Amino acid sequence: MLQAENILFTSTIIIYFLAMILYFVFITTKKEGLSKMAVILEIAGLVLHTGAIVCRGIGAGRLPLTNQYEFATAFAWGISLVSLIFILRFKFPVLGVFAAPIVLLIIGYAAMQSREVRELMPALKSSWLGFHVSTAIIAYGSFGVSFVLGIIFLMRDKMKDSSFFGQHIPSREKLDLIGYRSVALGLLFLTFTIITGAIWAEQAWGSYWSWDPKETWSLVTWIVYAIYLHLRLRRGWEGKAAAVFAIIGFICVIFTYIGVNTLLPGMHSYG
Amino acid sequence: MTEEKQTTRENGLKRAFQFLTSMPFAIALLILLALACAGASMITQGQTLNWYVAQYGERTASLIMTLSLDDAFHSWWFILISAFLCLNLLFCNLIRLPQLISRTKNEKNVNVTAVTAAGVSVEGIEDAEKAFARLRMPKPEEGQDEEGRKTLYASKNRIGLWGAWVCHLGILLLILGFSLGQFTKEDYAVYGVPGQTKPVGETGLQLTIDDFEIGLREDDTVEQYTARITASNGAGREEKAEISVNHPARMFGMTFYQNSTGWAARIGITKDGQYLQDAVLCTGEFVPVKDKEDLIVYFNAFYPDYELVQGQGPMTRSGNLNNPAYLYTVYYRGEVLGMNVLMPDEVLTIDEYEVTFSEPQPYTVIQVKRDAFTPLAFAGGILVMLGLILAFYLIPVRVLARKEEDGTWTFYGLCQKGGPLFRERFENDLKELSHAAS
Ligand code: HEM
Repeated sequence: MLQAENILFTSTIIIYFLAMILYFVFITTKKEGLSKMAVILEIAGLVLHTGAIVCRGIGAGRLPLTNQYEFATAFAWGISLVSLIFILRFKFPVLGVFAAPIVLLIIGYAAMQSREVRELMPALKSSWLGFHVSTAIIAYGSFGVSFVLGIIFLMRDKMKDSSFFGQHIPSREKLDLIGYRSVALGLLFLTFTIITGAIWAEQAWGSYWSWDPKETWSLVTWIVYAIYLHLRLRRGWEGKAAAVFAIIGFICVIFTYIGVNTLLPGMHSYG
Repeated sequence: MTEEKQTTRENGLKRAFQFLTSMPFAIALLILLALACAGASMITQGQTLNWYVAQYGERTASLIMTLSLDDAFHSWWFILISAFLCLNLLFCNLIRLPQLISRTKNEKNVNVTAVTAAGVSVEGIEDAEKAFARLRMPKPEEGQDEEGRKTLYASKNRIGLWGAWVCHLGILLLILGFSLGQFTKEDYAVYGVPGQTKPVGETGLQLTIDDFEIGLREDDTVEQYTARITASNGAGREEKAEISVNHPARMFGMTFYQNSTGWAARIGITKDGQYLQDAVLCTGEFVPVKDKEDLIVYFNAFYPDYELVQGQGPMTRSGNLNNPAYLYTVYYRGEVLGMNVLMPDEVLTIDEYEVTFSEPQPYTVIQVKRDAFTPLAFAGGILVMLGLILAFYLIPVRVLARKEEDGTWTFYGLCQKGGPLFRERFENDLKELSHAAS
């Protein structure tokens, strides 16, 4: 099973890479057909990626969401999934142009982590952990997409509507709304992540909130997106200011995910 | 006071109140809170002044202490920000309640002008019933507009108007439950090895550790820590439980958790070759010498598989008892007399006293807790979730159809939150049904 996982994982990276190249060619040659092919390739990549994760789960005999490698690959999977949903739902292939490199970056980070299957320490053996981490993946995936949308929004402001980009990117108003949909999905799942994490901590350590740096940073992230929501409701602040907060929010997500483990002391060090 | 002055003052107060309950103030508070949390996470919490001096130098350390940055999450300014946030949320929700109720009613009852003025429209629909179904709207109600034309009206997801309100209420309960818990909860850690009985703080309960087991897998990794414990309340009542990580137990209204583990050992002290005392010490504990209380032996650390690595100091190679070693410190009148590593066959001699360590064994840390407000905080969390689902996924939509003179229907749709996305969907859904378009 783990052998199969290795093969699937490597193929996933190759397919994602090809999809990214196709997206870039689409942008430079401006050929519509290429974007469709890129999206199809990305769907194929996602299927293989799902297969890799499932194989690992079977091989390890548990939910494959407990160490740095497993979480990183799942994080990439989350962004890949949510970006595809948004691409298809809002007919917006340019989103893929920006999302594909980020997916590749994160799965590349996963590839650098140790792939050894380790047994779980007792505190990690909880079904709440399953909920906690799977909701985090959807949350992080959605925030990845809102980050990309925030960047596209800021770039759009610098471009003429008549340019190729201008034609393939929705209007300001619509872009802002799509960004809002992705933040909404992310915030809902982040809230779920924090609550299930609190329930798990209460059972494992007898304390549902202890201001551990990882907890604190998930709260900071949560607050940043709450600020985003309220800014959007103020006339004149939706759009650009909101886009900036969507970008700051994702920087917090990345910091919560990587920075906290490496830069700050705390007990979430295993994942 | 003249009347004029009084009204200016009242106006001032009113303005201050308006600001304190406003959304810009909420945004400012949220930004402050995010910055405070981010800042506090950068500084290791709960250390002593000396620790901060060693880490950051004299000036930064005194700044940290002055601003309570060593315990930021319980500092006056953190509590102040949270309190303002609560007040802001509370008043915001109170003020908006009547308006929300009337808006909910409004959505239910047709307001032809509002819908037709603000909405999107598609003309020339033949089959109104089909159109409502295509728009995924509930069955419409019949009515008339001011000019006596027949109308059909349906609204859905009115409940979604309550999303923000429910979410804010949830946050309020969450903060309240958490803070009240912080002030009132009882929380104790009891250390011990099997056979020991220790008091649980000031609760009057006695906790006996009957057994403590570390379940290992084949590869020597830990599968589970399990303790069997007995609690007794001093009035003859006893309850027993088995607890392990992630599986706490409730006894006498308190929750008992298998929290962590460490090493304990027996310390024996002789004087002039005669037995003086012995005790089981967990690492981090100390004993005063019986007939010389100023002399203290502190058990710093235990290394089951001891190795001295150049440049890194004492380490343990594994969790197995291959080469046990004990790190101790001896204090006399508060001054350090000595600190060293002692092997099992070695004796530490301090004047006429001789100290040995033996019988290393794992001890367990049992956390004992009671927090009556945990359910309140969790209820708050559930409400926040619910509010977010309402706000994001039950978006209120109103659709009005008006019968025109030629017998076709004009459809108007209004969805404040949907913007151009709603407009597109609405037009798309009705395109085929409209003969104006075809
Ligand atoms: C200091 C406290 C806060 C105040 C005074 C405040 C105030 C408001 C106000 C006035 C609205 C507009 C409601 C509407 O248009 O229906 C709103 C919306 C909202 N607020 Fe807050 N808010 C606060 C904190 C928060 C926090 C911490 C969150 C956490 C996520 C939050 C979540 C929301 C949501 C989800 C909405 C609806 C936004 C939307 O539907 O796009 N609020 N808030």
